[in-house]
Amino acid sequence: MAGLIYALLFSLGIVGIIHDGFTLEYWGETLSGGEMWISLGYSLYVATVSSFLSIACALMLVIWGRAHFQKGLLSYAIYFPLAIPGIVAAFIVFQFMGKSGLLSRMTYGLGVTNAIETFPDLIHDAWGIGMISAHVMLAVPFLLILFLNLAKNERLEELSQLAATLGALPGQISRKIWLPILLKKSFPTLVLYFIFVLGAYEIPLLLGRESPQMVSVLIIRKLQRYNLLDKPEAYIIALIYSVLVLSLLWMALKNRQTSSSS
Amino acid sequence: MKKTLGIILSGIIFFPFLLLLGLSVGKDWRFPDVLPGEWTLDHWSELFQLQGDLTQSLLLSLGISLLVATLSTVIGFITSKYIAYHPKKKTLLALAYFPYVLAPIIYAAVLYFYFIVLGLSGNFFGVVIGQMIIAYPFAVIIFVGYWNKRMQAMEQLVYTLGGTPWQAYQKVLFPVSKGILMVCFFQTFLISWFEYGLTMLIGVGKIQTLTLKVFHYVNEANIYHAALASCLLFLPPWILILINKRIVFRTES
Repeated sequence: MAGLIYALLFSLGIVGIIHDGFTLEYWGETLSGGEMWISLGYSLYVATVSSFLSIACALMLVIWGRAHFQKGLLSYAIYFPLAIPGIVAAFIVFQFMGKSGLLSRMTYGLGVTNAIETFPDLIHDAWGIGMISAHVMLAVPFLLILFLNLAKNERLEELSQLAATLGALPGQISRKIWLPILLKKSFPTLVLYFIFVLGAYEIPLLLGRESPQMVSVLIIRKLQRYNLLDKPEAYIIALIYSVLVLSLLWMALKNRQTSSSS
Repeated sequence: MKKTLGIILSGIIFFPFLLLLGLSVGKDWRFPDVLPGEWTLDHWSELFQLQGDLTQSLLLSLGISLLVATLSTVIGFITSKYIAYHPKKKTLLALAYFPYVLAPIIYAAVLYFYFIVLGLSGNFFGVVIGQMIIAYPFAVIIFVGYWNKRMQAMEQLVYTLGGTPWQAYQKVLFPVSKGILMVCFFQTFLISWFEYGLTMLIGVGKIQTLTLKVFHYVNEANIYHAALASCLLFLPPWILILINKRIVFRTES
């Protein structure tokens, strides 16, 4: 809390190296400027797409390919990707999907591209493909392990067998049993994962572009600039981000409580 | 079909590790070659030179992570007991989630001023304290559900028999909680081991842990050393994951 109070006082010109008495000037400039809103919107986009793809992939694997992860080599191997830090995931994607990366070399070898320039921009790109790929790579094994454990705890195999005995088709079992139970039980973790991607730093730092930037990168860039007038803006964005995230969490958990009590 | 899917999944899982391992022993990887022009163990052999850049970073990272994990586990274990039995347990526990909800780097950014004032910016202890800001609440979250009436009864029995609070921890609480203490130690070690943004900000780039080294090498376009540093980052977590999984299996059986 002390940090947030200092950030608020700094942004109001009450404390800090450039303090000159109470002012709302910095707030006015930040709120009316477009950079912060674009950055927040872009972060929300990356977090939404990453979460959606990761959850979808993990659900597909647990519903249709779980047998592979219950015994044998894959039951151990699935834990190995958990040892990949964010910065290393970013580096792997950098080396795989960059202009001179492995994928580009393979497409060149296959004759799909004829020069390094003709390979599309998959990192530092406007759509955040590189960043999203790195997040998905990190999240799918984690979510898969989570869903496998939930399926075991909730005895979904037994429920599926019962449903099949009563005449349910495989598609119905997936839609009516696996999807709702897994999504409902993992909801708090999924919300926390979304928030984690929203505030991610290392991956956008290495794979993101100069503009727009993810919110964490924008805050740190402004905080580390030599221009002191950028610091209040950095603190204001941090404060607005904090309020946004706490509201998001509050709404998500409140909705969950309401739906579980009704 | 089933076997093919298994092979494809194994390939996807092991591909990132093979790519990094290949780069760490590669040299002269020019476009459009799919494989490096030369294979060498030169980069790995640099690790055995104690004065080497990467060796220093490896030792520094190990030192920081071991210290952060030990302090967070011990302090978290003791303080979580008070939080667990506190009437305002829910509020106190909600605060423990704060650094995660706000993102560690943003949390560090708003606290950075205090690190400068206390002279903790740009040094080893500053980074340890900075990392503890995220590792310690995590330890509290792990331990708080562990304290129950049975544990409380055991502790009270020690006092009834004339034991001191220190003896209660030393002779009873620590030994019976060995399993959860180990799990917490591993988890907080990994938090510290993987940490980049907060270390970069509070360490002002002077405390070159392995994660910072990866970024540094990527910026220098030195992909072979970046790959080697990445491989070094995998090793301790892999060992911990294997040990951790064994503990889980033992608990289940």
